[in-house]
Amino acid sequence: MNFEMLAAQADLLSGSSVGLAIVGTAIGCGLIVIGASLGISKIASNAVESIARQPEAGGRIFTTMIISAALIEGFTFFAIVVCLLGVSNLETLAKLSLGITE
Amino acid sequence: MIKLIDSILASGDPLSHVVQHELFRLEVGGHELVVSNHLVMVLTAAVLLVIILPLAARQRTIVPTGLRNFFEAICVFIREEIARPALGENTDKFIGYLWTTFFFILFCNLLGMVPTDGILYLVSFGKLHNLGGAATANIWVTGALAVTAFFMIHLSGIRQQGFLGYVKNFIPPVPWPLIPVMYVLEFIGALVKPFALSIRLFANMLAGHTVLGALIGLALASKSFGVAGVTLAGCAALSLLELFVAFLQAYIFTFLVTLFIGAAVHPEH
Repeated sequence: MNFEMLAAQADLLSGSSVGLAIVGTAIGCGLIVIGASLGISKIASNAVESIARQPEAGGRIFTTMIISAALIEGFTFFAIVVCLLGVSNLETLAKLSLGITE
Repeated sequence: MIKLIDSILASGDPLSHVVQHELFRLEVGGHELVVSNHLVMVLTAAVLLVIILPLAARQRTIVPTGLRNFFEAICVFIREEIARPALGENTDKFIGYLWTTFFFILFCNLLGMVPTDGILYLVSFGKLHNLGGAATANIWVTGALAVTAFFMIHLSGIRQQGFLGYVKNFIPPVPWPLIPVMYVLEFIGALVKPFALSIRLFANMLAGHTVLGALIGLALASKSFGVAGVTLAGCAALSLLELFVAFLQAYIFTFLVTLFIGAAVHPEH
């Protein structure tokens, strides 16, 4: 990692609220992870319970569990991509807010 | 030596191995065509499919063995477990498109896991940069797959039921005051569903490769063999998970497109 370049950039942008924006993005990411893991763990626990109750339906229950987990992960990843977009555009947004036009 | 490894593996920025890198531009009929590494990987996947699958289907014995057995097992699984429950008697009309989608996404995902960048860099003594990559980690590639699915779903629904019949069966039966609301909701749903398909595939591949790149960057930045060793063992395990995710995402995409085509072709009431 090019630490000198990062330090120079941080110095330039210290007048704007880039730090607060990064904290907001990181907290949002953590909330997304909490929501997704709650949903998928509920599916998994019910699937395990029902396979224990009826082992011969194990194949179909496993398939349904995998499909539901992938659907939930679908919009989870959409939210993560929104966070990534915010983080990757922080520099341009901060320069806009500081009035640096180049 | 560290500089060589660093430029192969992490390049200082975990996202630089997943994003598109422009290789050269072509002038085609007055318009500019940007050839990037993702385009090269899509062409590689297409050429591999066109070469391997007819070779596998060429075997003439009754009992399948070898390469043909491998592909036939996957194709039969897709046709019997995914397509036939959803499509019923229309299976054979759509199975070509479904097989193509599945194998294209699978080959693109798996080619993304092959370290073509590092191998070409080592073999060419530092000349070739950023020639490989995961094609499906590009929103435009998955977006093109989703646009194809969108047209496949609605055009086959219109062809099966006629345009007016399709529009009439677009919404579930509700009391008449709710009909305009239902049309708005179904229209939004018809746009959102392929978008979600493309985002799911794109974000899964992007996230996997980004985490791998960040972990390897962490291993290098720690400057100690112990931490690097443990991190690289974690990267190996994560790569195994990525291989599973490659197959799973291709399966999920194909499964959902089958469901949507089934819902468009004979809507259940």
